[in-house]
Parts: sequence; C-alpha cells; structure tokens
Amino acid sequence: MTQIHILDEHLISQIAAGEVVERPASVIKELVENAIDAAAKDVRVELEVGGKRRIVVADDGSGMDGDDALLAFDRHATSKIAAFDDLEQVATLGFRGEALASIAAVSRVELRTAVTPGDGHLVRIEGGRVRSVEPASHPRGTRLEVASLFFNVPARRKFTKRPQTELRRSMEVVQGYALAHPEVRFQVDHEGRTLLEAAPVEDDGEGVRQRIGQIFGRDAGRQLQEIPIEFVGEEEAISGFVGRQGAGRGRRSFVFVNRRLVRDRQIMARFYRAVRDTWKSEDYPSLYLFVDLPPQEVDVNVHPQKSEVRFRDPYFVDRIEDALRVTLELARGEEAAPLRLPQGPLPVVPAWEGLGGAGGMGSTVGSQRDAFGGRPGAPPEYDASPPAPSEIAEGGAAQPWPSAGREGAPSQIAHASVVPPKPAMVPLSGRSGEARPFRILGQYKGTMILLEGPDGLYLIDQHVAHERLLYERLRRNMAQSRPASQQLLHPILLELAGSEAMRLEELGPALEECGFGVDRLSGNTVALRALPVVLSVEAGEAIVQRLATEDGEEVSDVTHLRRRLLDDLAADMSCKGAIKMHHPLTMEEMQQLVTELFQAEQPYACPHGRPVVLQMTDVELERRFGRR
Amino acid sequence: MEVRLNRVEFMTELVPMQGVVERRTTIPVLSHILLRAVGSTLQIAATDLEVSLTSWCQAEVQEEGAVTIQAKKLLEIVRASSSDDITLRIDQPEVLTLLAGKSVFRIRGLPEDDFPSLANVDEGQALRVPFPSFRSMVSKIFFAISSEESRFQLNGALLELQNDLLALVATDGHRLALVEMRHEGLEEEEGVLVPRKALQELQRFEGEDLEFRRGPHHLSFIVGRRQLICRILEGTFPDYERVISKENDKVVKVDRKSLDAAIKRVGLLTGERTRAIRMELSEGQLVFSAANPDLGEAREEVECDYEGEALSLGVNPDYLGQFLSACDTERVRLELKDENAQCIAYPVDGHDKRYVCVIMPIRL
Repeated sequence: MTQIHILDEHLISQIAAGEVVERPASVIKELVENAIDAAAKDVRVELEVGGKRRIVVADDGSGMDGDDALLAFDRHATSKIAAFDDLEQVATLGFRGEALASIAAVSRVELRTAVTPGDGHLVRIEGGRVRSVEPASHPRGTRLEVASLFFNVPARRKFTKRPQTELRRSMEVVQGYALAHPEVRFQVDHEGRTLLEAAPVEDDGEGVRQRIGQIFGRDAGRQLQEIPIEFVGEEEAISGFVGRQGAGRGRRSFVFVNRRLVRDRQIMARFYRAVRDTWKSEDYPSLYLFVDLPPQEVDVNVHPQKSEVRFRDPYFVDRIEDALRVTLELARGEEAAPLRLPQGPLPVVPAWEGLGGAGGMGSTVGSQRDAFGGRPGAPPEYDASPPAPSEIAEGGAAQPWPSAGREGAPSQIAHASVVPPKPAMVPLSGRSGEARPFRILGQYKGTMILLEGPDGLYLIDQHVAHERLLYERLRRNMAQSRPASQQLLHPILLELAGSEAMRLEELGPALEECGFGVDRLSGNTVALRALPVVLSVEAGEAIVQRLATEDGEEVSDVTHLRRRLLDDLAADMSCKGAIKMHHPLTMEEMQQLVTELFQAEQPYACPHGRPVVLQMTDVELERRFGRR
Repeated sequence: MEVRLNRVEFMTELVPMQGVVERRTTIPVLSHILLRAVGSTLQIAATDLEVSLTSWCQAEVQEEGAVTIQAKKLLEIVRASSSDDITLRIDQPEVLTLLAGKSVFRIRGLPEDDFPSLANVDEGQALRVPFPSFRSMVSKIFFAISSEESRFQLNGALLELQNDLLALVATDGHRLALVEMRHEGLEEEEGVLVPRKALQELQRFEGEDLEFRRGPHHLSFIVGRRQLICRILEGTFPDYERVISKENDKVVKVDRKSLDAAIKRVGLLTGERTRAIRMELSEGQLVFSAANPDLGEAREEVECDYEGEALSLGVNPDYLGQFLSACDTERVRLELKDENAQCIAYPVDGHDKRYVCVIMPIRL
C-alpha cells in the first residue's frame, strides 16, 4: 500500500486558504482591500457573532461583469497584475489573486456585483464549489457575503477565539483602512449595533487628523504633533502624527506604507529608539505614520499577509527615523540634555572593604537581600513568582486586614514593605590599590547629588532617585494585597473606538481584580463605576484609557495586568511622596539615598522613564579641558 | 480723593476681601482692591474674575475719587495702625497717602480703569432667606464639593429652588451631601451651580438676611452691606435623587459623637492615600478596624441600635467623619444594604427638612 499520494485539488485549496484566511479579521482585510482597490467611496461592513457566522462587505466601487465575477474565485485570478514585471509596480493593496479563492474554499460565499446599476450578477459558492450563477439586480459596486466561515475546516474553526475577540480584531482591521483612506466613508455594524461610522473627509493632513478624531474620539485628534512638511519630497513622502508628550493616553501605533497598514518591526524599533533617545522615556506616544513612495521602491511581497515591507533604499528607514525624531522633539517642546546616561551597569554594590570591622559590606548586603526574600541581584519576590489569580482572590487579599474575630485578638500583621538599609554602605574615600567605588562630593543647588565614580562624574537627581525607591517599595507593598476599590456614585462614561471598548470588556475580570469596575454600555460607551482608592478619578480614567488602546495579545491574563496596574499605581503615588527639588540634604541623608538607590531593581530611570543618573566620563571631561 | 473713616470699620470690611483677591496672578490688578469715595461712603471691591465682593464703609468724603491698592499690604497697614481714624488721600496719580495717627504711608497703586468692571446683577426678583440658616446649610454640604479640577461641573454645589424647598447638593463622585430647607413662597423652579469659592467666602459672612438674585450668567448674594457676585458654573449636575436608594433595609442608630471619635481614631492607621476602614455591623454593635502593612492595625467597638443580619463593608473614614462633624444632632441613622451598596447617613431628629449624605463603599 502506498503511503504517499497526491492531494486532490479541493484539499490543496483548503490548505492554501489557511495561509491567507486565519480568522474573520483576515476575511475582512481582503474584502476591504478589494473594495478600496475598486475605488469605492463607501465601504460598509456587517458582522454577526464576531464575523464567525456572517461577514458582509458592501462597496460602491467599480463592480465586476459576469465573467469576472466567476473568474474572481479562481486561484491566482487577479485584475491587479498581469505579468511578472508588474510585481515591481504594485500600487493596489491586493495582487496575489489568492484571497477570494481562499475565502470561498472555506465558507459559503454569495457575491452580488454590477458594473452598471441594475445589470448585475449573483454567484453562490460553497466550500470552493460554484452552486449557482444568475443575473440579479444590484446597484453599482460589489457586495460579498461570507457565511459560516471554516464550516468545512473544523481544525481552523476550533482555533478561532471568542466572538468578542474576533470582533475586536476585525474592528482593528477596519480602523486601519479607515485611517489610510480618510476620503472613503466607513461603517461597521455588529448585530444591528453601529460600532464605527466615519464620514468622508479631505485626503490630507487635516483630513487624517479629523479621521483620527472620528475613530478614537475628538480628544485624540487634538493632542497630535504633525510630522513637518519638509519630509514630503517629490517621490517619497513621510507624513503623519505623533502624540504630544503628556497627552500619553494610549499607545496607538499605525504605520502605513503606500496606504497599506503594516506591522513592520524595523520601523517600530526605530520609533521606540527615537522615543527613548529624544524623550528619555519609555512612555511611547501614539503614532500615525504614513510613508508613500513609488511602488518599485518597496517590496510588499515579503509575506502573504503583506504586513512586512522591505525598502529598496536601505537608508530610507533612517530618513523615517529622522522624521520621527524631529517630530518627537517638536512634540516635546524642549531641547534634550547634553549629558548622557551611564553606559553599562553601575557597580550595584560598592566593593570597597577598607575600614570595615565586624558586619562588613558583604554580609550587610546579604541580609538586605534576604529581607526581600529574593536572590541576590534578582528583583525581589514581586517579579519572581506573581501570585496565582485564585490566591489573590482568597487568602492573600484579606491578609492585611484584621480578622473579624470578636475577641479582638491582634491578628498577624503583614510584613512591612520598608526594610531600613544598613548604614555606611558607600565609603567616603578609598585607598589606591583597592576598588574605589563612589565618593559623595556634595549636593548641587539642593537638587542633585554629585558622585565621584571610578570612571567619571555622576549626577543623581535626588527627587527622581527618591521617587524610584518609593516606587519599588510601594510596588512590593501593593503586590501583597488586592487594592481597595472605591465605588463611584455616578459612573464615568468613556467614549471609545469600537475595538477599544471591546478590549476593555475582555479585560473586565482582570480589571475587577485590580480594583477597577468597568461595564460596557450601549454602543462604544464604557462606564467606569469603581476605581482603586489610591487613584484620583483623573488618574484612574487615564489608566483605563491607556489600557483600552494598547496593542498586545492575551491581555486578559490577570497576573500580567495586575503587574502593569501596580506599576502605574505605584508610579503615580511615589512621585508625590518623594523629596522635592531645592531640599538640602545632609551627608548622611545623601549616603542613605545613594546606597538604597544602588540596590534598587532599576536605579537608572524613574517610574515615568526620566533618568535618575547622568554621567560625565573622564574622557569627556578631559576632552573639554583640551587634554585630548 | 480724600476721605476720613473709622479704622475698625474699615478693617472689618478689608478682611473678607482677602479671600477673594488672587495671591498669585499674572494680572497684577487682581491682587488689588478698588477703593472709591462716593457721597458719604468709601466703596470697596475685590475680584478674581470668577467671584467678586463689594462692600462699603461710612466716611467723611472731602473729595471723591478712586484708586486700586494691593489688598494684602493695605490690610497689614490698617491692622498695624493704632489710631481710631484713618485718612486716605490721593495727591498724585495712583499713589495713596494713608495717614493714621503720626504715621504716613504713601502706597503705590494702579489706575482705577485697570480694575475689571464687575457684573451687575441687580435686576429681577430677589429671594430672601434667613442667612444663618443658609450658612448652616452650606457648612453641611461644603465638604462634598469636588476639588478635582478636571471635573469642573462638580467644583460647586447645586442650589435648587422648587416646591417651597430650597436645596443645596454637592458631590465629588465618591459621596454626595444634600440639605433641604422649607421656604414658603417659592414658585419659580430653578437649579443653578454655585462655585466652590463663592460658598467658601459666604461662610465667613455675618448677617440676618440673605438676598439672592440670578442674572443671565451671574449670581448675586447680598448679606448686610456686602454683595458677593459669582459666575454661574456651567455644566450638568448628576441626577442626585437616583443615588439616594430606598432599598437600604438595614437601619442602624448610633450616638454621633462616639461614632465620630471612633472613626477618627481607627482612621489614624490608614495609609495616606488608601483611606479605608472596615465597618462590621452585627446586633448591637459596630466594629471599626484598619490595617496598614507599614504601620500596624487598629480596632474599636461602638454600641448601636441594630437588629438584623451581620454586614461588613469598607468606607473612607474622612467621608463619614465629615458628615458626622457637620451634623448637630445627638444621634445619627445609617441605612445600609450590602457591601456594594451605598451607605446613606441621616441625622436623627434634625432641624432640617432633610439632610442626607450618601457614601459609596470601598471594596476591600
């Protein structure tokens, strides 16, 4: 008996379909692209059960005649390229000619199309086999209905997610195209509820800004810095918007290359780097980037889903980065500091052991670590093993509260989060031949601590350094218990984009665990009915907004979210408790602060991403004095 | 301008002006007060553009005229003087000469024209209310006014007139306070948002009667010789009757002072930002407890009248404490339902038509 056999055509097409059609959102992507390539001015999407039961995409584009309507479903049938050389010139969104065939192979498709109004055609296809072709009345344009997606591919069907999740992904797809084509009207309905309605606007910078407002709410449209016009050239253009600093609600990032939404790692990496360098911050703003260049200058054929791109000119990415840097500086509204962040790790614990008697440096440090229950050098227990959700809900949460015992016997008091550090960890001087760590030189204008280090002069911002320490303490503290949650008298209503409201709905249980109460109301309105006690209404609202707009998979994981929220809460609280600028410190206070700082998990940046330590290297100092 | 007036009377009118003027401002004239000699009076005015206050003193006017003078400095000088009478004179433009006993001050001012013109709310029907009752109403809701600037429509209290009732309501989103007074002869129905600062200044006034008027954009409160005018706060106030639940079936009566004291003591062991104590209710007793990992824990029992199921909920001790301090009765009544429902607090046998404070619980 032979074990190897040739697959039949039908099976081949089902397997191939899997590459293009992964989930409802990929069907919508292909159909919306076709609509846009057909010069539609109005694209309407209707969904049922997150697109799993039914997807309809209707447009007012050029439509197809009878022959084309049938041919469209053949594999590698496309109107967009004809010869290999055309691949160089691809200006349309789709071109491989796989999409419709693949979709038709795994669903029940009904196509209605007409080039001239009234004189239309109706084609029914089921699992890749044509069932009927008949004339039908239809206005100009194309309407494709895709029902029972993956009805004949149980394996694939199993891998689709909950309707909410699929719907959110579909919304994200449509939102992407709506941003890229502000001149086109977009509407999305899910089971009779309108999730997105964006009227056509001008196809220019202002139009894009309006469209951003239509999708993400008017406020989002206002807080944007436009990429300067100087990056728009004859052939290539880099345009778009970056969110202003401090407007940091949400991290929406959209990159379009020739109006095609891409998830290009290279471009995003450049963006993140530009933000870190320019803003000295990990707080990435929103990005709406539009790159336009002649089709032969860019290869979009890298990946079947066309989400990666390759530029012919290897330096083009540098120009994108330049544009982003200039815009980020404008958005920031100030010049960057001339000092640099220390390169390489600071010696975490000073190694000097002179003058020491009993209880020397090594043992002191050891006990310090033990108090946190962590391994030396590793972050304390907080990161090591986050508690399982069930633990949080039960014993762990109630722990810090006295038991309800009538007898009033004192219950176990939770461990304090502050462990006083042992003194004299930073020696004041060193002898030659011994490791010479740091020497505190003094305080500059009551704001900065100056340190002489082995390789240069270090400046420590006292406020930021203290903030960092408080932050780490608070985070350890809060990781132990479930945050108390203040219920609100009147819920705060948030107007969000469709996908964002859905995302919050998915996050609901995890948010609840963290002290937030979130309910989805009609449309895309979300009601915030409880907030962690430690947050002001304003701060709480900002955190929820940010969560709603963030990218990322598997966000509903409670432990992950909990850690994120704790970070946010702690960052918000620690800033207020920290010593301020222009606050004179004694030598002992400075020593204590520096010692504790060098034992922190992350001594370099404050919770908001501002640097704690700046360095002027010996080399740099010598150069400035003309010795090199 | 040249006037002579009684120092104590002058000082009495200068003091309330200090609350209105801006200390730190980019517009210098807003830290000034306007002095104007007219007829047999010296008129005084202060404004921060949102709230303005005018008053007057008896004066012997030799020559009419006006000037603006830095409010804080003027009060300091008048307060430090020892004579009974003070003479104010303008010899050269924008310089006020102040003679008190043997001391002479020449104080630099700003031209009268720089002072903002104040809104005029003298038309329309006036509402007259006994001022002590009104002031007491303000003190019963003032603490619930939000100070979060992002929620500007809550930075004031709602003043409502309807069906022979005068009501003041304030909320910050976590709790709400409402107080009502019966006032015969109210026919027009209206509701208007009074800014926090106006209510704060009104609380310092003394007098028998309050005369209230509403203009298109401003409100006027006249008490004695003082008139306070404020801009109406724009915005919609939340529907407050809806949160005063009628379904809270667990009713506790408790001595106000011992409850207040217990809450304040237990509250000492809450965190600065996490103001939350646990309140456990069972037959005949209320137990309050608090714990803070960095401080320790506290627990206190309070006797109460209660027969029913046990219940436990978290609450902000400040919210409850502020209500208890504002109450003037011997006992208070708390209406509860469960750990997620609001705690509704009333005085027992109070003088007000209705006084109620709704406090949202904290889930611990």
